[in-house]
Amino acid sequence: MADTWRLIFNPDGDAADMLAYPSALIEGRIAGKYMLSTEKLPNTIVVQGARQKGILAGADVDINKETARKYDIRVANYPRSGRGGPKPVGTVNLSDVLKTSSRKFNAVDTDPDAPAVLLYTSGTTGRPKGVTLTHRNFAQQCDNVSKVLPLDESDTIVLVLPLFHVYGLSNGLISGVFFGTRMTLVPQYSPSMLLEAIERTSATVLIAVPTMYMHLLQIARTRKTSIPKSLRLCVSGGAPLALTTLREFEQAFQTRIAEGYGLTETTSSVCLNKSGEAFKPGSIGPAAEGVQMRVVDDNGSEVADGQEGEIVIKSAVVSPGYWNNPEATAETIKDGWLHTGDLGYRDEDGFFFITDRKKDLIIRGGFNISPREIEELLFTHPKLQDAAVIAVQDKREREAVKAFVVLQEGQEATEREILDYCSQNLADYKVPKFVEFRDSLPKSATGKILRKELREGYRDDRLLDKVSGDNEEQHNG
Amino acid sequence: MDNPRGLGRMLEEVARKQKKRQALLFGNREVSYRELDENANKVANGLQSLGIRSGDRVALMLPNIPDFVYAFFGIQKLGAVAVPFNTMYKGREIIHILNDCEARAIITMTNFANLINEIQEDVPSLEHIILTGQRTMVFVSPDSTVNVQMVVDKDTFTSGDDAFRVVGELLIDTLKTFGVEAWYKHRGGIRCGGKKIATVLVSEVENLLVINCLAFLGPLKTEDFFRVVWVSPEIKDKVMEPTTSVEEQTGTRPSVTQFKDALLPVLQSRLGISAEQGQLKRDELFGYEKTRALADKE
Repeated sequence: MADTWRLIFNPDGDAADMLAYPSALIEGRIAGKYMLSTEKLPNTIVVQGARQKGILAGADVDINKETARKYDIRVANYPRSGRGGPKPVGTVNLSDVLKTSSRKFNAVDTDPDAPAVLLYTSGTTGRPKGVTLTHRNFAQQCDNVSKVLPLDESDTIVLVLPLFHVYGLSNGLISGVFFGTRMTLVPQYSPSMLLEAIERTSATVLIAVPTMYMHLLQIARTRKTSIPKSLRLCVSGGAPLALTTLREFEQAFQTRIAEGYGLTETTSSVCLNKSGEAFKPGSIGPAAEGVQMRVVDDNGSEVADGQEGEIVIKSAVVSPGYWNNPEATAETIKDGWLHTGDLGYRDEDGFFFITDRKKDLIIRGGFNISPREIEELLFTHPKLQDAAVIAVQDKREREAVKAFVVLQEGQEATEREILDYCSQNLADYKVPKFVEFRDSLPKSATGKILRKELREGYRDDRLLDKVSGDNEEQHNG
Repeated sequence: MDNPRGLGRMLEEVARKQKKRQALLFGNREVSYRELDENANKVANGLQSLGIRSGDRVALMLPNIPDFVYAFFGIQKLGAVAVPFNTMYKGREIIHILNDCEARAIITMTNFANLINEIQEDVPSLEHIILTGQRTMVFVSPDSTVNVQMVVDKDTFTSGDDAFRVVGELLIDTLKTFGVEAWYKHRGGIRCGGKKIATVLVSEVENLLVINCLAFLGPLKTEDFFRVVWVSPEIKDKVMEPTTSVEEQTGTRPSVTQFKDALLPVLQSRLGISAEQGQLKRDELFGYEKTRALADKE
């Protein structure tokens, strides 16, 4: 090891210096290596401060330069590097793989029942479980889609939902390829980026979640003209879409929205409520062809139409089970029926309605309280933008209702106001005991509220522990 | 459907039928079905040459970019199992998933290199880290950050891992002079009470190691940064790992000069290296100016 290094001290540097110093040093050293220079340059250490705020960003990072100037943030971009730039030790560059590998490969013959994909989902308790999805599961899902919502080569479908989620992967990407459509990839969601992508590619199909429809509508309200009218079909899923939003969106974009319902365990959608056809507000629609759906009681016996129970599903789209987890599989799939954990009923026309998630129920004084019912009321409050309801323990350790609410921009409201509104519209036992105001609510990639993260003592999973053996206990404690 | 075709075969057949038709639109880029199919083949060949076989699990931690699609179908063509997971997952969540499915490889973005490097030790099955894209993002601020970079001969350290370890210890000792008790997680993260106080990334190019470190002297206020890089409010707190700083730990924020003055003796005592203040030489200055000009390109 050399004894003397060169120190370059640059206390008033900027974001561009963070890039330029190492580049310069590398260039000097490599020139020396190939004897392009006679000067032997030493090992060097650079210590730098920043004289102003700055972002050093890779070429694919989307930065608003105007805002950057406004807030006096120095933006420096990594040049788009070709092959041969520095790469983290012990890694492989995908671009090198793409440049050096043969473009010929014959797909291996796969057993239709072999796993193709594992998708990890979090239950209300415990760690994420890997849902095994087979080639057959995806093939059946494509077949189902071809019967209820056929697409074709002339369609352009917007893939804005994350492809790591079953909805975007199965009903977006895999269906998209199955039908030979054009697919517009949106790598990072923002309302204006989505709108721009629809416009630019004259998209005909949008698969999205309620929040996205709400955002697009908000933009549409402010700019009455130049709303793209190319969408022939929209699908909403992941969470319920308010009927008023659905109607207003259809009007503004001259389109139709079908609301779907499905789970990771069912390779996404199993039923669809198609607006404009046999549509029932608030329903998830009838079961798709190739899907058997029932409502059962706690003993697994089917209940009469109109009566609430757990929704169970049997179909070739149903996962064979959780990866390496026979216990969880046995708990969820009984006699070939997948127990969804969703409560609901079927009406006399065969339309299904979800009333709640089994595990999210709040039970107070023997009464079952549906958080969703209270949330839906709160959504209608003119000053509120968002709401979530969970169970908490009150002083006597009974379950009590707690509401988290997000005010609309520029609005003010007191706890009293919110509670009064609830009292006027809900049975007393359903009125929240506690109200907390928040700037935003934690949501999953598909816009589902993460109630787990709202519970007290919620542990941030992003923190790495020093001792990795004791995580489980702390987590449950 | 008695014997449906696999997903890899499905793409092959669709691509054969409509070679020239556009499959993917991404910004200004257009990818035809033939190109998509060929890129999937390249991934399949590449994975195969790394020793990945039918039935092996390959994790994907990627946003919606063409590489996701190539990787996904490449894995399918090979008969391997794709494990795509949420790009917002951090630390323990990722360790759990990779261990549960015993992933042999992960394909992810360059900006997650730090994170994956750091957890590789906890995932014995993980042999290959495959990186793509250019989404690295580093925030610097006069109220918070100090940046330490090294460009040294590869043989300065016995291995990449050794460089991570030694530089990690250098930073821990330097922080200790300010009264901060930090600890080091394999390859990259230096933390106090679970929160990140400094990072180390070791890269290689030709015969050199390039080491980039960032340490937080004062609290990093990210609000302004997130005005410039759009992130939806619901997920903002998930984008950045929680950080802490010398000031948050001790009540005092050292200056960049004080940090440098603390680092140099540690460099001497730990590695026996003395550092003499110098400047860039003529050859280097040329590269410096060139890179600065490129960095400013809109």
